[in-house]
Amino acid sequence: MNPIEIKNLSKTYIRQPFLGKKTEKEVLRDVSLTLKEGQVLGLVGESGCGKSTLCKVLLGIEPLSSGEVWINGKNSRCLSRAERKELCRRMQVVFQDPYSSLDPRMNVRQLLSEPLAIHGLYTDKQEREKFLKELLESVGLSVSFLPRYPHEFSGGQRQRICIARALALSPNILLADEPVSALDVSVQAQILNLLKKIKEERHLSVLFVTHDFAVARFLCDDIAVMYEGRIVEYKPAEELFSHPSHPYTQKLLRAVAKPNPALRDTWLAGAQEETL
Amino acid sequence: MSTEENCMLSVENLKVSFHTDEGDVPVLRGLSYALPKGRILAVVGESGSGKTVHALSLLRLLPPAAHITGGKVVYQGKDITQLPEKELKHIRGGKISMIFQDPSASLNPVLTIGEQLTETILAHKKITKQQARQEAVLLLQKVGIREAEKRLAEYPFQFSGGMCQRVMIAMALALKPDVLIADEPTTALDVTIQAQILRLMRDLQKESGMSAVFITHNLAVVAGVADEVLVLYGGLCMEQAEVNDLFNNPLHPYTQGLLKSLVSVEEKKDTLPAIEGQPPVPGEIGKGCPFAPRCTQASEKCFEQCPPLSEKANRRVRCWRVEEK
Repeated sequence: MNPIEIKNLSKTYIRQPFLGKKTEKEVLRDVSLTLKEGQVLGLVGESGCGKSTLCKVLLGIEPLSSGEVWINGKNSRCLSRAERKELCRRMQVVFQDPYSSLDPRMNVRQLLSEPLAIHGLYTDKQEREKFLKELLESVGLSVSFLPRYPHEFSGGQRQRICIARALALSPNILLADEPVSALDVSVQAQILNLLKKIKEERHLSVLFVTHDFAVARFLCDDIAVMYEGRIVEYKPAEELFSHPSHPYTQKLLRAVAKPNPALRDTWLAGAQEETL
Repeated sequence: MSTEENCMLSVENLKVSFHTDEGDVPVLRGLSYALPKGRILAVVGESGSGKTVHALSLLRLLPPAAHITGGKVVYQGKDITQLPEKELKHIRGGKISMIFQDPSASLNPVLTIGEQLTETILAHKKITKQQARQEAVLLLQKVGIREAEKRLAEYPFQFSGGMCQRVMIAMALALKPDVLIADEPTTALDVTIQAQILRLMRDLQKESGMSAVFITHNLAVVAGVADEVLVLYGGLCMEQAEVNDLFNNPLHPYTQGLLKSLVSVEEKKDTLPAIEGQPPVPGEIGKGCPFAPRCTQASEKCFEQCPPLSEKANRRVRCWRVEEK
């Protein structure tokens, strides 16, 4: 059983103004993807291609228009209330911006205990403290952080708290929506190493959304390239990098800036002087 | 690194502090460099390093809480930090212009692109509205926007992020400035657009022979456009060198660590050699080298005394280890 199975998923946003004509915008078109157990599936695309919408559909924040989403063997459309709650426990998410995804009025203890309270886990106070300590240590933070508030932390530390919060319910699926793109360069590497480590330790299956091919190469087993709501190329990561077949993938790969001044002319020459 | 004559802009021991409830917090703690004519200097740093504050202070655009506590910014023999507002107006936008990070936020949403472009031109030149409009059309064509005449009547929301940035570039170049300051001009853009914008900026820069200060956190972008690189950390210059020297032979442990920790699209790495710890918070930096707490090669001396910025063979570096060699 694959943790996530998406079959011919389409999503259309419909706008019905009070006056005037109804407009429809198709943001996901016939998307089929499989997240295999213990693997990292990279979803790469530029802004507006629909990658975040796909996350929202998976999380149940947005309803889908057609197609099927199977998560842990259950169809996302036919879930009872209890099943939905269980699914929330098994699938957790880390967002891009660690500054806006933590409640500024909650300290770290409250932030990490909230999901536990909702799901009725670790009700014994002592056990909970012990669990929180282990949880913090597993993401590279110390137990002294518990009574402190988000504003006291840097971006990288906040992202670690977000990851800890996502891991609190021991999920088997992690959705990571651009988790490093808002971080400082010297901190990105730390968080990428951390994600790799917890994925292996906890045997997580990860859907990793990013716009950065370099990041995707480091972390992903399979990569799906998305363009205007469609998957244009979907194959094992190493194959994609050695033999990109779709022209859009090739264009994206050419556009990736390389930290080597010797390559600058080929890189900039590759950027076709398109007039808009 | 350059002779006096061909230096366009020079920054001498620039210091900037922020007023806070806990007293003054120094953000920029003495930055000096000379920007040669026709060259692109990239200033690289993480959040809190003072890179944006440095950019804003070049044109005295700092927010009210910040103030320049020392040093000079010299342009054509005049110190910009001391210039009366009236004189500064001619330099700002006319001689030294600036591009900001978020293009859609730097344009006025209720004015058309044409109104905003001609406003800039008319503020500095004594020409008619009609002439200014014609200039605006030429500018838009120059930055690669088709049907420029028609697009002048459109509003910023009708433009994509990349196009807005092209408009910003057009506006910045409208008066043929001597110096262009670009603060993270491509950070908010997609990779394909980023390459286009950087190419456009570089082509226009070569064509007009202006100098540019390019502020960024992205080392790949630096490798793509800069002639010279200055690495900022904790409000101080850690290393400055020609772009090839810096990438091929970084001297400072921070620069070395940064370059090593980059993910690569060319090869798959198993783990990244990351720099441990967090970037320093302004105001909480000790008396030693700001990088010492994260440095793997730090000795006792590094924590006690901040190393000087020493100049050797056309490059500058601030590190005791290099100093002692």
